[in-house]
Amino acid sequence: MSEKIGIYVCECGPNIASKVDIEKIMDEIAKLEDFKDQELVVKRHKLLCSNEGKEFLEKEINENKLTHLVCAACSPRDHDTTFINVCKKTQLNPYLYRIVNIREHCAWIIPDKEEANRKAIQYIHAGMNRVLYQDSLYEKELDSNPDVLIIGGGIAGIEAALNLAGEKRKVFLIEKEENLGGKAVFLPEQKISDIQKNKNIKVFTKTVLDKLIGFMGNFEIVLKSTEKPDETTELLAGAVVVATGYEFFDSKKLPAFKFEDKDNVIDSLEAERMFSENKKITLKNGKEPKSVTLIHCVGRKEVGFCSKICCDYMLKIANYLKEQSANIKVTHLIKYLNLPYKNSQNFYDKIKEKGVEFIRYSDLSVNGTKVEYTDINNKKDMLESDLVILAPAMIASKDSEELAEMLNIDLHETGYFQEVHQKINPVSSTTDGIFIIGSARGPANIIDAMQQAKAATGKIFTQLIPGEKIIPEVMVSEILEAYCTGCQTCLQVCGYDAIYFDDERGISVVNEAVCRGCGNCVGSCPSGSLRTKHFTNPQLYQEVKEAIR
Amino acid sequence: MDNPENVLIIGSGIAGMEASLMLSKAGKKVYLVENLPIIGGKIIKNEESFPIMDCSTCLVAPIQQEILQDANIEVLTLSAVEKVAGKPGDFKVTVRKKARYVSLEACLGCGMCYPVCPVVLKNEWEENLMDKKAVYVPCSGSLPNVPMIDASQCLHLNGKDKSCNKCMEACMFAAIDFSQKDEEFKLDVSGIIVATGFELFNVQELENLGYGKYPGVYTAFEFERLFASNGPTEGKLFLRDSEKTPDSVAIIHCVGRDEVGYCSNICCMSSSKHARFIKHNLHDAKIYNIYSDICLTDKSYQKFFDETKSHDSEFIFQFDRKKMNISKKDGKLEVSYFNGKETKESILVDMVVLANALRPSDTIEELSKALEIKRDSFGFIETEPSKLGSVETSRPGIFVAGCAEGPKDIQGSVIQSEAAVAGILSMLDQ
Repeated sequence: MSEKIGIYVCECGPNIASKVDIEKIMDEIAKLEDFKDQELVVKRHKLLCSNEGKEFLEKEINENKLTHLVCAACSPRDHDTTFINVCKKTQLNPYLYRIVNIREHCAWIIPDKEEANRKAIQYIHAGMNRVLYQDSLYEKELDSNPDVLIIGGGIAGIEAALNLAGEKRKVFLIEKEENLGGKAVFLPEQKISDIQKNKNIKVFTKTVLDKLIGFMGNFEIVLKSTEKPDETTELLAGAVVVATGYEFFDSKKLPAFKFEDKDNVIDSLEAERMFSENKKITLKNGKEPKSVTLIHCVGRKEVGFCSKICCDYMLKIANYLKEQSANIKVTHLIKYLNLPYKNSQNFYDKIKEKGVEFIRYSDLSVNGTKVEYTDINNKKDMLESDLVILAPAMIASKDSEELAEMLNIDLHETGYFQEVHQKINPVSSTTDGIFIIGSARGPANIIDAMQQAKAATGKIFTQLIPGEKIIPEVMVSEILEAYCTGCQTCLQVCGYDAIYFDDERGISVVNEAVCRGCGNCVGSCPSGSLRTKHFTNPQLYQEVKEAIR
Repeated sequence: MDNPENVLIIGSGIAGMEASLMLSKAGKKVYLVENLPIIGGKIIKNEESFPIMDCSTCLVAPIQQEILQDANIEVLTLSAVEKVAGKPGDFKVTVRKKARYVSLEACLGCGMCYPVCPVVLKNEWEENLMDKKAVYVPCSGSLPNVPMIDASQCLHLNGKDKSCNKCMEACMFAAIDFSQKDEEFKLDVSGIIVATGFELFNVQELENLGYGKYPGVYTAFEFERLFASNGPTEGKLFLRDSEKTPDSVAIIHCVGRDEVGYCSNICCMSSSKHARFIKHNLHDAKIYNIYSDICLTDKSYQKFFDETKSHDSEFIFQFDRKKMNISKKDGKLEVSYFNGKETKESILVDMVVLANALRPSDTIEELSKALEIKRDSFGFIETEPSKLGSVETSRPGIFVAGCAEGPKDIQGSVIQSEAAVAGILSMLDQ
């Protein structure tokens, strides 16, 4: 089939038309030596992006039976999608079209009309060069499984399970301990019984992940029992939610903290559990304390971040103590107060009215219930009380690293799981289809964890719709098998685990459903056997050789 | 259910935009109502966002573009919700849309109409740091890139000079349309998300801080716009109405915290960001951050804060926020405060940036009445207390996300927005 390229120059009203000589450009383009073997259709239009312009373009593609299309118009940021959508209505494959920006790159920035003309011709010529080397690409549809595996049966995992499970979506909830519930102290019992009653949720306790392969929509999963490691369960799911929670920093690791188990030094979780069970916080001997010191930020410096939720719950503990007996002397040793929750400030004011004291420390040492500290004005002092309650820093749970490896997701430098974008995509991990919620992605209180569970639910609801197929990226890498030497360099640079090594044939293979077309592998391939579709070397070369001439 | 596929989102900031795109992906028809002429919300006022210091425009512009090009999303700018009747799955919404007087279809955004307009006004979106015309876009890079005409100021529209057609004559696309009228129409939707964001505390309430009295005193948003490469000074840190740069700057945290009654979450980080910006641009500038507590809400924030503290700015602890005073001394601004020893100290600076507290947006009271949803004691939208961890409001079928619910950073707003989407979709599939 002979090639017939359509070149359409948009006037963009006066934006392009008044700054370059469109007639001259069209003449020059039509006469290009390089294209004497191709048939060219060169036309202008007042405004290609308008409805009338789009209809014009559609008609032109169909009537002229164009094999390639170049639109010389504005920035692809403005109207690339517009013209792709026009192509989609016609027989022309949208990957055989190219936009050339003669507005921002020529008309608007080059005051000399002759120079602007020359540049515009050069850029259009470059676009024509490239488009001839472009290939048709076709979207593929893949079946997807809407079911979800949730790792971790704490409040975040429970909330995610309850939100996700439905007639058309099964949930597998795995928990390594014997019971669901995790660390949350005041967890509504109702939630656990709701889980047990829900026929679309299958709970596996004393179970951990053993293996996971695949990609969003199609994960193959192996679970194993923590008691009998040979006992495995295989299942399929389309998405994974990681809700493995946190651990406390071990305060005994701090040289300045000397206490033994018999001492009345406890952590905040122990205090909260005690209060939840007995409505009272007591000493080891069962007696009520007359004085309590609450130490904030234990290990904060060592872990390198603020745990966000401790100030808030330490205020709550102070309140329990004051409700238990108004005469208890309660003293907080704080660094800074971090009160990000909107009702915390009022609560703090209320606690202060009850006589709770706050001292800002810069350094301290603990010897049983004796606390020596230096305040922010460098004054040294000592507090001896019946009970010491510590707020240790919250750190990533110790199996995070192994889990990250198994799931092929990144860890943040703090040890928590890393978001794909911490601001605009905060519950998605660095691998598509795997989500991170609750204190597995950073310190979170119950409300935070529940909202994040719902956020992951929202993401899964919109990305894995039961009965709908998924369409993977089209502009992906491919390997020219004959050239691959099997060096496996590409496996190391791929950030998405999209390349695997075929031992039998001794070559690398791209999993197109996982590849995002970043091109890292292409740059790294010493034998030149890799290329990214729609960004091949010949395409780039053809474009660049004209553009920089 | 009459219209199981329609959802109304009020507010086009980061929370509203994220929810719109997600719901569109799920095949729902979205009406995105915004009372300004542009979408994007507060995030587009920022040049860079902490802690990665990535360019905010680069982060948001593709999202804005995607919204405008999405066939499932109908963007209704200059619009407000007047009334919501009905029940979840079947809400009848009354929307009032103000006339733009410029055709969204015909206008290309070439900007030929601004220079010819004879009316010069202060640009509030730019914190009054620059002028605009009666036909204007709030900032360069506005999306949709279509101006509006301020009908009360336009000579043609307010009747002061009916013969003034200058913008119309300058427009090559016949996009100016003086005949447009405000409209009122009804929408049928199944669910609603309120994402109307926040405003900043009015620092003029605190006379001791001298805002409005001393030109060297700035609000946080004013500083953001000075910082912005598309702002009034194109990112150059000039003192108000001059081309002088400051040798010393004091950034005051927690301004208005005692008055609003809560910590605003983001100011410690944005103040650190401002300190970095100043230091990177004016290497010899002396920068002070005067704080009383430090709020860091993400695992990555401490590192950013610590780096700012060791490289860019001195951090001074202030014992009692109410005792701070800013006055004029030797041609500079004297900031006096009580330190950790509860004794009075002071510093002399050229510029003061007040990190003012976040407060509920101006429209929220009226909107909450129209929607019949409850607000908390601070005026933010309240989530239903009986539904722990939910983002549903007191009225079933209506959800809230982002700073409309309380102060939070971008991350927190996006999380709530995604949670609201889950709520809407759960409701629709039942």
